[in-house]
Amino acid sequence: MIQLTNLSKEFDSLTAVSDLSLEIPRGEIYGLIGPNGAGKTTTIRMACGLLTPTRGTVCVSGINVLKEPERAQQHIGYLSDFFSVYENLKVWEYLDYFAHAYKMTEINIRDRITEVISQTGLEVKRGAAIRGLSRGMKQRLGIARAIIHQPSILLLDEPASGLDPKARFDLRQLLRSLSDQGTTILVSSHILTELEGFCTSIGIMEKGRLLRSGRVEEISASGSERFIHIEWIGEYAATVKSVLAQHNKVVKSQVGSTEGMLEFIGDDEGLATLLSALVRAGVRMLSFKEKKQSVEDIYLKISHHEVM
Amino acid sequence: MRFWLNPEFVRHLRSELRRTRALTMLAIVGIICLLVGLACWNSQQNRLEEMRRLALQFDGHWNQRLTEMEERSLAEFWKLYYGVLIFIQTAVLTFWSLLSCAQSISGERERKTWDFQRTTRLTSVELMLGKLLGEPILAYFIVACCVPITLIAGFAADVSLLHIVLAYVLVICSALFVGSAGLWLSSLLESRSRGLGIIGALGLYAVVAGAYGFRDSNFPGLAAFSPITSLLSLFGYQTDPPVQARLFGKPISWPVMSVLLYVSFGAWLIAMIVDNIKRDYDEVRPLSRWQTVGCATFLNFVLCLEFYPRPDRMFLFTAGFGSGPPIRIFGAHDFATTMLLIDAAVLFAVGLATLTPYEQLKAWRRRRTNEQANMLSEGGLPWPWLVLSGMTAYGVLSFGLFIWRKELPIEARFFGNVAVQSLVVCVFVVRDVLFVQWCRLTRLRSPLIKGFLYLCLYYVASAIVAGLFAFSSYTESQHVLNVLTPSCIFASQSAGLVFSGSVALGLILQLILVALLLRAITARLNSSLTTHDAVAA
Repeated sequence: MIQLTNLSKEFDSLTAVSDLSLEIPRGEIYGLIGPNGAGKTTTIRMACGLLTPTRGTVCVSGINVLKEPERAQQHIGYLSDFFSVYENLKVWEYLDYFAHAYKMTEINIRDRITEVISQTGLEVKRGAAIRGLSRGMKQRLGIARAIIHQPSILLLDEPASGLDPKARFDLRQLLRSLSDQGTTILVSSHILTELEGFCTSIGIMEKGRLLRSGRVEEISASGSERFIHIEWIGEYAATVKSVLAQHNKVVKSQVGSTEGMLEFIGDDEGLATLLSALVRAGVRMLSFKEKKQSVEDIYLKISHHEVM
Repeated sequence: MRFWLNPEFVRHLRSELRRTRALTMLAIVGIICLLVGLACWNSQQNRLEEMRRLALQFDGHWNQRLTEMEERSLAEFWKLYYGVLIFIQTAVLTFWSLLSCAQSISGERERKTWDFQRTTRLTSVELMLGKLLGEPILAYFIVACCVPITLIAGFAADVSLLHIVLAYVLVICSALFVGSAGLWLSSLLESRSRGLGIIGALGLYAVVAGAYGFRDSNFPGLAAFSPITSLLSLFGYQTDPPVQARLFGKPISWPVMSVLLYVSFGAWLIAMIVDNIKRDYDEVRPLSRWQTVGCATFLNFVLCLEFYPRPDRMFLFTAGFGSGPPIRIFGAHDFATTMLLIDAAVLFAVGLATLTPYEQLKAWRRRRTNEQANMLSEGGLPWPWLVLSGMTAYGVLSFGLFIWRKELPIEARFFGNVAVQSLVVCVFVVRDVLFVQWCRLTRLRSPLIKGFLYLCLYYVASAIVAGLFAFSSYTESQHVLNVLTPSCIFASQSAGLVFSGSVALGLILQLILVALLLRAITARLNSSLTTHDAVAA
């Protein structure tokens, strides 16, 4: 479990993170989203003990990171956005170094290296020099390093940058399986589609502040608007426009020649009424379905309303 | 943890000493040792040849010397070979250690691998040991390759095993000392300033090697910083006149003095590295508050300890020109002036080492506003600790004067004068350090360097102004210097109390400046806090 309490970080005249409180339960995949400079990296660096907060506390698995850094590191796996690896080592030597640095039991190290190498798809590169690896492979190696000591908490800052689509898919699968095993994951990204359908909770950060935080479905349900996508056949655009305009629960609509998108405030009963109104007006409806809000939709909505 | 199992050491071992490289290095070392051997042999043969030529020319005494030399020729060759090998190993190991360690942490910062090391469970001590021994691993390997040849040469030259072991202990101690100095330097450098690390390392190397020159000073023991001094002494080379290392005037062997200096200074360096190695760059502060006082006291104490007023340097003997008594040319005043000058430099250096980062200073200010912190708190301004350091430095200086009272006679007013001079030094240093601290709170780029340069500019300008006054009157120029600079530390003790009107005026002026700087710092902190609170609200 990760617990950030009233966390603030000031750099000279800049407040990078302001009074951030957050609790991520065990097994959760928490996506921290926000534009560049929102304070995501600073938050993650404070969470893993690399930066001392100006105010506030960080606890991982009940251990205060500031007071007992070495003990806390046993539970933390960290991957930064831009990083490098030791080019002169071989893949297995690199992982062996970190396994020893995390003070794993000698007897388990060999097997664990094999396991991690297989989890990250680096089997064929086990004995290869890191110098010759591609960027994507180095990113995989970075992920392997972060999980080598079986941390209960994984802090990942833009982990998918540099990965090809297949590797991204594999990364998601890996993180899901780690989450199923009880690992708590805090992952940051400014590429929202990267976190789509993968995070169980999200936090939206901007200008050092956490604007909204919670489970994805709670946040998407928190707004009263529902987005409905409609399709029809035939020349009914004008009729559709007129029906939508007359309906008082339709807040906003965009109508094309054979499809449209509308923002609706109301329950399922109201939606059924709207559908029958369209049918009664003679529109030959092809589809009428609610579009679930994506993380991107949520972010844009919150960001637009509360910050800009 | 055993150092050969230290993951950081093993990493260096694996990445820098792969089989191919090790074998290549072994071959190169073998060839170089052979070449050095040939050069030594050639040198020995040349000397013999020269002697043969002299013997042919002059007969008698020279023939006898030639016979002796020919008998000793082989042993002399081995002795020379052994000595040269030891010196080469010292040079390689110390230079390599310093240079590689000086780029270690800043290099990792640059390559962006440093954060991963910091987030492992390696403790600061393990990380430091791994780097200290691992970074120069190739140099240690070179030395290890040389050991068998050195042993053969040493035994052939009739050098005892204990002697050889002592030489290696000295070489390794000096390498560890300069390596820790390099690592300390590297911990203070940002990722972008790797070049600065190399320049700094070369500077440090020059200082350590050049410390040999202290043999002829009033602090001869400091020459033991240079491994050359101790190794020469170990090989039995003597200078004319012979110079000995001394502690409170008592002779001590050079190798012991070297080890004492390496251990005591190394301990300070290691304390600073261990305290800071896992910190983020912006949070690095070489010395804590109490360490500031301790370090200033230690440095002053070491200087008192090493001081030895050599008789030939204290008096000008006039025997050749008449039968008059010797004239004293080095007295307590000179000792005090030297110590005050060094004290000023030490105080300024520890002041810089204890500057508070902006963020910590803001946190301290916030706590102070809420009455949760006081002036002496860890995150506060460094000046109260500098004053404390100044007081202890004065105490050590008085102690030194007391110890040497027989050799350097003093008058009763002397302690008063030194107190005034110490006060002046302290006030000026506090002003300068607060100025640099203020620079750190501004938006200046590289505030430390710029602040330092501004101070240099100030002192040069003061000297020019005083120089202009010197055209009309020397006394006026002295007064100007007294007001603008701590020049009263050079004032002659025989002229009475140094606390003249101009010194008092200078003190008042500097105290006003200190107050203004404190006010400026407080205002900047308050305005920054107000902005942050507004943003937070």
